Amino acid sequence: MRGRLIIAWGFVGIPLLWGVSQVVARSLALFQ
Amino acid sequence: MTLSTARTPSSPEWFPRMALLSFLDREHSIAEPDYSRWLVPPAALAIHLCIGQVYALSVFKIPLSQLIGSGPKAPGNWSQETISHLFQIAIVFLGLSAAAFGAWLERVGPRRAMFTSACCFGGGFIVGAIGIYLHQFWLLELGYGVLGGIGLGIGYISPVSTLIKWFPDRPGMATGMAIMGFGGGAMIASPLSVALMNFYKSGHSQGVTKTFLTMGVLYFLFMMFGVFTVRLPKPGWRPKGFVEPTTGRMITRANVSVNEAMRTPQFYLLWVMLCVNVTAGIGVIEQASPMIQEMFPGVIKASAAAGFVGLLSIANMSGRFLWSSFSDIIGRRATYATFFALGAVLYWCIPISGHTGKPWLFVLICVVVLTMYGGGFATIPAYLRDMFGTMQVGAIHGRLLTAWSLAGVLGPLIVNRIRESQIAGGVAKADAYTLSMHIMTLLLVIGFLSNLLVRPVAERHHYRTATEPTGVPT
Repeated sequence: MRGRLIIAWGFVGIPLLWGVSQVVARSLALFQ
Repeated sequence: MTLSTARTPSSPEWFPRMALLSFLDREHSIAEPDYSRWLVPPAALAIHLCIGQVYALSVFKIPLSQLIGSGPKAPGNWSQETISHLFQIAIVFLGLSAAAFGAWLERVGPRRAMFTSACCFGGGFIVGAIGIYLHQFWLLELGYGVLGGIGLGIGYISPVSTLIKWFPDRPGMATGMAIMGFGGGAMIASPLSVALMNFYKSGHSQGVTKTFLTMGVLYFLFMMFGVFTVRLPKPGWRPKGFVEPTTGRMITRANVSVNEAMRTPQFYLLWVMLCVNVTAGIGVIEQASPMIQEMFPGVIKASAAAGFVGLLSIANMSGRFLWSSFSDIIGRRATYATFFALGAVLYWCIPISGHTGKPWLFVLICVVVLTMYGGGFATIPAYLRDMFGTMQVGAIHGRLLTAWSLAGVLGPLIVNRIRESQIAGGVAKADAYTLSMHIMTLLLVIGFLSNLLVRPVAERHHYRTATEPTGVPT
């Protein structure tokens, strides 16, 4: 079950973190 | 493909059923004994991360307006105003389908609803791609707007009641996690769309058709992960060590059907609360970029304003999870009281912060305001569960989302119209937002009063049969 949980959370978590990192990178312009 | 033709007098289905799709049935979605409830939030996120794409639709605006010839001025091209109707149609169909299909969703279970949502949303992209290829806007509207919009509505409400049943101890956190995904969906879709269009772009094509086709297939497959992962708890299942709260008067142990809920004042009070909270938040989101540039002329440039918009989307997303989780501790009523009381003060202070000449103060206020905007969306399913029980909470949530449709029109209308009339009347651009922010404050005061009036639902509205909620009144 632990493996299934890791796969499930990774499946949705990785794209979400990628999207958030893109926005964070864009947001840095506000502080420059 | 095996066809089951069994017909029994008790079965209402008098047509052959495809056995292959029977795994979608409610009774086939019951969790096996070793199933972890922590698999349900990723299943819900798989749906919400996809349908949240609708908020990133604007990245297609310019490419769609340049499909013919060398630029937007080429005869026959769609105008940007025409293209913006696509978003409005999708949001209208989101609200309508959430309201219309809520009771059906409770009857058939989350798996079939998620599958239908995936077919509609993915299929909407495919039909839309054909519309773009043939340059027929009506087909794009029918595909992405109508079919995709129905997928949005069903997908948005599909995991709500399932999450509440799996997490009776933390319903706010559970639904907040899913609804957070809707905020995060745009963050994925925006760079993904741009990357795909750049990949498919050629000398004579913007690459939009192929991008739509690819996204349709990708989103369908991603949503299918949710379909295969989601499970319903066994009737009567409770988490280990969980004891039903007995002291809180504001958390019912009874159930109210969707049609009966609409006869209660509580439904309309919550409808008003959602509507004013979303109206105020959308008003700021819609005008965020021009507002910060006009309030701090010469200090905030366009690139910094784009960064500000990005920061607001992070605040919106994180607020969905943080506030809804916090509501499990302090209660739903206290959470909304905070939204409205603190929100009213902060909206009043937005124009004042502009006069201080300190952009950081303005940014800070807007960030807090946007966390509460997202928090309002994410906490409402748990508030509905507290009022009406779990039996048809997804369907009731669907009906309540019509408040979102109205707020989506009201918020931008208030801010845009007032700004334009103020500027036409000779008011400086930096001051053109003062009146609209004061109106938002007034709306939040109305929300605060509505929240104060919420009382437990009268016993005469309670559903009489004491059965495990299946969503089907028997």
